[in-house]
Amino acid sequence: MTISKPMNTTLNIYGQQVDSRLLIGSALYPSPEIMKQAILASDAKIVTLSLKRQNPAEQAGAKIWQYIQEIVAETKGFLLPNTAGCKTAKEAVTLAKMSREIFKTDWIKLEVIGDDYNLQPDPIELLNATEQLLKDGFKVLPYCTDDLVICQRLYDLGCQVIMPWASPIGTGKGLMNPYNLATIRLRLPQATLILDAGIGKPSDACLAMEMGYDAVLLNSAIALADNPVMMAKAFAQAIVAGEQGYIAGVMQQRQTAHPSTPTLDTPFWHQQG
Amino acid sequence: MNVFINGQQISVGSEPTVLLALQHFLSTEQQKQSFAVALNGNFVGKIDYPQTSLNQGDSIDVLFPIQGG
Repeated sequence: MTISKPMNTTLNIYGQQVDSRLLIGSALYPSPEIMKQAILASDAKIVTLSLKRQNPAEQAGAKIWQYIQEIVAETKGFLLPNTAGCKTAKEAVTLAKMSREIFKTDWIKLEVIGDDYNLQPDPIELLNATEQLLKDGFKVLPYCTDDLVICQRLYDLGCQVIMPWASPIGTGKGLMNPYNLATIRLRLPQATLILDAGIGKPSDACLAMEMGYDAVLLNSAIALADNPVMMAKAFAQAIVAGEQGYIAGVMQQRQTAHPSTPTLDTPFWHQQG
Repeated sequence: MNVFINGQQISVGSEPTVLLALQHFLSTEQQKQSFAVALNGNFVGKIDYPQTSLNQGDSIDVLFPIQGG
């Protein structure tokens, strides 16, 4: 299903225009076939994937890779490899270089995890890795927390895309700190901001887009739904709704009620006993 | 000489290279697939496999594409 978008609102990833504001993960689906159907239903044009060790006898990874290649070819989309599992800048830089060789892309979703319990990014290692990778020609899409200063530092280093979390990966808790996220949007108006991780419901994605975020990256919310394909369509529509709501301009909240129906000539007005 | 590939200890010849170790470790089918290599935590490009020599106890990571979020 293709959702129509307002004119001139493509997503900008380091100068590459992308005709969808949903980035989707390829993990956790009930089967490769459902993964393919869900990704196609989501209208996403950017698919994330990773690298892992594989035993000589194991062939499952090859099949998944074949499916992902088919999806990207069919959608004329893009691959976005991640550095999941890395805990140091050195590990992340090495994995990024390995990804670049295999996937023939200089895009990298940079993850450097500092805590195993909530998979919170390590800001120090993240900045170190970002600096090295940008110097090496990578186009870095850093996964970070909703800390304004870290986002500013990443932007100052040269990241044109920044990806703060909504909440920890896989929790589905939605936007934990809307104030922080809105502040990042306000202070970094030129950055492409993608809300990444923790999204649970289509309304979470819609809210992010209403706040002016450029895109949303998610995986578990679709893959772990009872019906991933239907949920993918729901997210596609929610993201377009939020984007159009932002462009249309949301009304200012008011402290007191204002009648919607004109009060002039209201019947029975002020009739007393 | 012994080296480790993906955490598994294997015995290789007296003058091993990354290329020889991969040919020893990977199945014929896997050698045709997409993969990338790191030696002791440092990336090694495909073009360098034949001339990158190994030392006792070296650790090689061979990584393949897999689903990810």
